[in-house]
Amino acid sequence: MFEDIPVDVGIIYEGERIRGRDMQLELGGPRETYKFELVQAKPMDEVEDGKMTIVGKDIKELPEGTNTPFGMIIDVAGAEIEKDLEGVIERRLHEYVNFIEGFMHLNQRYDIQMRLSKKSYQKGFNSFNHLGTVLLRLYKSEMPFIEKMQITFITEPAKVEEWYPRAMGLYEARDARARGMSDDEVDVFYGCSLCQSFAPTHLCVITPQRYANCGAISWFDGRATAKVDPKGPVFEIPKGALIDPVKGEYEQVNKVIRDKSLGEIERVQLYTAFGYPHTSCGCFEGCAFYIPEVDGYGVVHRNYKSKTVNGLDFVTISDLTAGGRQVDGFHGLSIEYMRSPKFLQADGGWDRVVWMPKDIMDRIKEYMPPEIVPKIATEESVQDLDGLKKWLREKSHPIVGRWKAEEEKPKEAAAPQPAQQQAQQFPMAGFTVPTMELPAGALPAAMLQGLPQGVTLKIILKNAKIRAERVIIRAEKE
Amino acid sequence: MANRNVKLKFDELSSTLGTFKGLEIQIGRIMDEEWEEPMGPTPMPSVSTLRSWDRKLLNRYKPFYMPFCDLCCLCTYGKCDLTGDKKGACGISMPAQQSRIVLLACCIGAATHAAHGRHMLNHLIQEFGKDTPLVAALNTNVEAPHVRLVCGIKPQTIGDLEEALDYVETQIVQLVAAAHTGQEGDNIDFESKAFHAGMLDHVALEVADLMQIATLGLPKGDPEAPLAELGYGTINPDKPVIMCIGHNVLPSVDIIDYLMDHDLFDQVEVGGLCCTAHDMSRYNKRSKIVGPISWQLKFIKSGIPDLIVVDEQCIRTDVMDQAKLIGVPVLATSEKSCLGLPDRTHDPAEAVVNDLISGRSPGALVTEPRKVGEIAVKTAMAVRKRRGEKKLVDLGDLKEIASKCRTCMECIRACPNTLPIMDAMTAAKEGDYGPLAELNDLCVGCGRCESACPADLPILTMITQASKDQLVNEKYPIRVGRGAIQDVEIREVGSPIVFGEIPGVVALVGCANYPAGGGDVAAIAEEFLKRRFIVVTSGCSAMNIAMTRDEEGQNLYEKYPGNFDAGGLVNVGSCVSNGHITGAAIKIANIFAKRPLRANYEEIADYIYNRVGAVGVAWGAMSQKAASIAAGCWRLGIPVVVGPHGSKYRRMLLGDQGKEEDWKVFNARDGQEVYVGPAPEHLFYAAETLEEAMVMIAKLAMRPNDTSKGRAVKLSHYIDLHKKHYGAMPDDLHLFVRRGQDVPFTMKDEIMKILEAKGWVEDRIASPDPTLLDRMVRRRE
Repeated sequence: MFEDIPVDVGIIYEGERIRGRDMQLELGGPRETYKFELVQAKPMDEVEDGKMTIVGKDIKELPEGTNTPFGMIIDVAGAEIEKDLEGVIERRLHEYVNFIEGFMHLNQRYDIQMRLSKKSYQKGFNSFNHLGTVLLRLYKSEMPFIEKMQITFITEPAKVEEWYPRAMGLYEARDARARGMSDDEVDVFYGCSLCQSFAPTHLCVITPQRYANCGAISWFDGRATAKVDPKGPVFEIPKGALIDPVKGEYEQVNKVIRDKSLGEIERVQLYTAFGYPHTSCGCFEGCAFYIPEVDGYGVVHRNYKSKTVNGLDFVTISDLTAGGRQVDGFHGLSIEYMRSPKFLQADGGWDRVVWMPKDIMDRIKEYMPPEIVPKIATEESVQDLDGLKKWLREKSHPIVGRWKAEEEKPKEAAAPQPAQQQAQQFPMAGFTVPTMELPAGALPAAMLQGLPQGVTLKIILKNAKIRAERVIIRAEKE
Repeated sequence: MANRNVKLKFDELSSTLGTFKGLEIQIGRIMDEEWEEPMGPTPMPSVSTLRSWDRKLLNRYKPFYMPFCDLCCLCTYGKCDLTGDKKGACGISMPAQQSRIVLLACCIGAATHAAHGRHMLNHLIQEFGKDTPLVAALNTNVEAPHVRLVCGIKPQTIGDLEEALDYVETQIVQLVAAAHTGQEGDNIDFESKAFHAGMLDHVALEVADLMQIATLGLPKGDPEAPLAELGYGTINPDKPVIMCIGHNVLPSVDIIDYLMDHDLFDQVEVGGLCCTAHDMSRYNKRSKIVGPISWQLKFIKSGIPDLIVVDEQCIRTDVMDQAKLIGVPVLATSEKSCLGLPDRTHDPAEAVVNDLISGRSPGALVTEPRKVGEIAVKTAMAVRKRRGEKKLVDLGDLKEIASKCRTCMECIRACPNTLPIMDAMTAAKEGDYGPLAELNDLCVGCGRCESACPADLPILTMITQASKDQLVNEKYPIRVGRGAIQDVEIREVGSPIVFGEIPGVVALVGCANYPAGGGDVAAIAEEFLKRRFIVVTSGCSAMNIAMTRDEEGQNLYEKYPGNFDAGGLVNVGSCVSNGHITGAAIKIANIFAKRPLRANYEEIADYIYNRVGAVGVAWGAMSQKAASIAAGCWRLGIPVVVGPHGSKYRRMLLGDQGKEEDWKVFNARDGQEVYVGPAPEHLFYAAETLEEAMVMIAKLAMRPNDTSKGRAVKLSHYIDLHKKHYGAMPDDLHLFVRRGQDVPFTMKDEIMKILEAKGWVEDRIASPDPTLLDRMVRRRE
């Protein structure tokens, strides 16, 4: 497939790093302001398949050790290609460029850094045409829906600079469209059963407003993946009739879940942590967890190593919810989903979130309602539940309003409390008082039956020896 | 949590139920069920409990015997010749006899680790109290996966581990008994028992290492554990040198403590050999690691040590003779290895020191670690003073010594690796010491050449002297053994494993009986690190990995991070740390899939076998301990590759890739029995060459559960290594490609052509939710 390319191409080169002193050429990177890679979907007649254009100097014309501004524009066309697939196609670049022996690719979009090693250059990899040929073949081999592809490489600094703002504008438009897209606009969601190899009853439902739990698959990714591998683990779910718009429940989704979970899971509501929450696999990025003491939610992610505000760490929380189970009070999630307007929608959304690690807050702050940001506590502001309650009152977090409402309501209307969580928070205070039950037949039945009413039985054991093989003390739960 | 033999006595007890006089209650065992997980099906399995699981594996991987010895000479009927179809006087057949020896080796190995663990337990409970919390690693809830899995208990204190060890010990007795003349007669049942010994071994390993981690302040699963120094050249011979050899760190800990308490650490060099060295560096990174087991004899012969302290396992049994040659005393510290020395445990330290310094005693047995600390330091300092300036080995003119060589080739015949010793002698006769020096890296340091030499040439010492310049510069950094893998790391690699971005876990473990030097282990490690496998290591292998540098002078510990992730190089520590490697596989099953762990061996093993692409590699496996460690992997469904000397373990466990009926599993989703191809193809494989091993490792990382992407990645590595080392495409690709998406798309054209030629049909090889256990099938109500 790559016999005419001077170097080898394969997955095995993916982890290769090229250090400064081994480098023939660096494209983009931190020293260059202007750099980008861009995939554009075009009408069929605007793309000339296989065409490669180099604007500026080619690799062999750039002296050893050069660092240059760089732009790469890939135009694709095909009957099944939609604008929405641009991002998905573009992100493959990272992988594909890294497949080339002696070629390294870091980051994406306007932040790219690519390096070619001296060794590969000496082997004859001295033109962007080699790079283009590899990309063309890899794309067409893995994504057969790409019917035509043309690539433009730009090293001419003025041209890169000229293109740069256009590329930025296109990324922005793409992001705005992705973030603005709602579940209602589409007819199909995507299901991903990849994690069933670990959690056989788990299925991720991926919608425009709910990323897969792992954070790796958006609705667009799902769409592309299902096209690439129709028999693969990512598949279309026609969403069917809407049962509950707030909780996010759909007739067809339920049917597919029942089927794929082998009947274990009957219903799923996408935007709540209670009732029929979406299950969690084993590789979710984070988890929202209910804190009964304040009637709100905490959120924690995988990289948070300390204990959360209620004393549980991520490991414990994930143990409580992972494995394709529906556990009330837990909502496995991806960080991206927290940017969705439907995040925990049925439970009150951001108004119910009371605590999260600072790291996540910094990452998603601009997508949170601005008024709630200063009211949500982090590990820097509070350390325990008492501190949290104080903080929430001081900051007039909307949750405080719920407390007042709760206090006025009759007791039994209190929100349900997940049993497992309770057990974690209130470890057994002590042993229950042991009671003794005599096994059936231990005393002659006649003795008991013949007793007149009101007479109690008194047993006197003298020099009795009781020997037990083992005694099991078990904490009983309600 | 568990209390045993509780006795309560009441003279008189009044209650609403009644009055009890002279009531005595005796309870065998109180179990405090704070652990919510219900008890699984096989708590503390007895010898035959998991027999049906073993037979499932052994039916696929049949023992392929390579009798290292054709005779049985265990009873007085013998010797019995078992060649051909002959049976022994007791009726035993050749296959049964070979498997019986495998069982015995595994029992010795498991017993050694269990005894090591018992010594740790008794001593450390006495020192720290049995209620010392059992903290294994940071960010970790599943602190003792093997103990939970096998015993069904959840230890929370170090005292809780005793129950696990009691169980292991009682089972080993049963197993050894099965090897008596006139007991077990079936080869497969012998094999099953060897698997049982392996499983017990990993429980013992875990107990032993957790004991020291929890009490001695060893790193707790820290990926950034510090770098320590390794190599011959790290020892300053001008200082008094205490050399600790073996596997049990307790005496060394007290030597280090004594040095710290008396502010002497800067004045005395403490160096370790073999696993004791690992654990010393885990305790205090300032202690030095001299090297693996193969450095033992060479380092003693160098004359650098002023005192040799031996604890247990892998110590030269002729250490007394060797010490005598360089004129230094020996301290034996374990009842398991008394070396004929007088027991001076209860004598005043000063008296022992004086006898050792003066040479009145060539050595002493002192089994109390604290006392060892004091005696060792004082003796080494005085001996150093007594020995004066001259320390390093100097045989004088090597040319003159070599001239006595009769070129009889006895040395070459005695050498396990047939090294060209005689040629080196011949060159030395001419004053060319280069060939002698070159032997140093290849030599496993067994010393058999010296014993064999009719001219009594000190061959090993000559090699050491010839490579002196090289040896004094031998200094390498090594990542200190970190212990267990954290739960969070396990979770972190979950998604890349699912998506196939991590093609497998390669565990490079075991001894240093390499066919061509330790450089091979470093080569394997680097090959798979570059390919972004997770590489885990321990023991002598972990040391040898440190001893190879690239052109820029960096070794793999400097180049690769220490976390359990793609492209990470994880040194878990000593031999007893090996339990953490299999423990990580168990945790993958438990933490991702939430498969119940408690006393649920079969299901977890089935999970690992079908899904976790882990491969054990013991390139220089030598000991019985290595055998039992391997056996523990087999029962968990983890294939093991050994070097050429590994065939002396008497049999391999090989699958037959052409026998389709052998490679069927149940699809847990619908109960159908389907063909999944030969993955993994073998359970125990001795590779003849390094190249063969590398190809095999990549191949054995495949599992029936691989996703298409995962299989494509794994196939890429298999094909690439095969092409690199055999110069051609593998001819069994059609057995591993299930559907078009499995084909690495960078090689699509080439592979599709091969598949076509082989008559490959898409989806004939299934990709089910695989299990060997009928009961794991989820059937709809």
